Amino acid sequence: MSDTSLIDELPGELLMWVLIISELLVFGAGLIAFMGVRLTDPSGFAEAQSHLYRTGAAFNTAVLVTSGFLAAQALHWHRAARRSAARLALIGSALLGVVFLIIKGVEYAGKAAQGITFETHPFFMFYYLLTGFHAAHVLAGVGILLFVAWRDDARNIEAGAQFWHMVDLVWIMLFPVIYLLG
Amino acid sequence: MRAASSVPKLSRQWPPSTLTRAWVTLLALSLASTLLTTLPAPPAFVGSSILILALIKARVILARYLDLADSPTWLRGFTFVMIAFGCLILALFLI
Repeated sequence: MSDTSLIDELPGELLMWVLIISELLVFGAGLIAFMGVRLTDPSGFAEAQSHLYRTGAAFNTAVLVTSGFLAAQALHWHRAARRSAARLALIGSALLGVVFLIIKGVEYAGKAAQGITFETHPFFMFYYLLTGFHAAHVLAGVGILLFVAWRDDARNIEAGAQFWHMVDLVWIMLFPVIYLLG
Repeated sequence: MRAASSVPKLSRQWPPSTLTRAWVTLLALSLASTLLTTLPAPPAFVGSSILILALIKARVILARYLDLADSPTWLRGFTFVMIAFGCLILALFLI
């Protein structure tokens, strides 16, 4: 008889998976609500979406998946006793998170310059809420990655990388729905 | 859950090439998603394709970045929920 349960199969800390699932549910509900409200004004949503900086968001996708790659690589290197390489990878991953936030900031500044706010259209209310909440997670993730680069035992790195991959995963679903489905 | 601090099993140590392949796949799929929006194709086709690519990307992240490839039951469960989510989003898009 097996002495391991399904829970034991999960890599890393159980609480991190509880957090990952919770966050996916919150953002998933937000995106479903966004698509639901879109039904009331599809042409208005399409027009509002045309104001988004799609190229910048696509570039940010590349930035985030590359950052996730470095975080995953850091764990691999740490397990292979390449501590310095792992720490550098974590710092690089955090720096790419900062690049993501700078591009997002430029995007928000552009919207502000056009006079686009929360109240301009329901599309922008969801846009600011979902991308802003995600950006807050990116900011937290940058801090976590830098922290685990400093306190670099395997458990810390795995937990930090998992948080970062969750941020990555959310963006992978958020980007097409908010920016591409017109 | 599997202890992260114990000596890692070989199967959990992704060779860099596997991780690199996952990264390149994610970059290629992201580029394809963006290029799809420039095609003069019906919105239903473009929307469906974009969501399918997003689901593939999500599965790559779950399997390779989040290391669920060694936990097939969990990977199947997450994949099922993500596909259900994608179908709901697509239905709302196509209505």
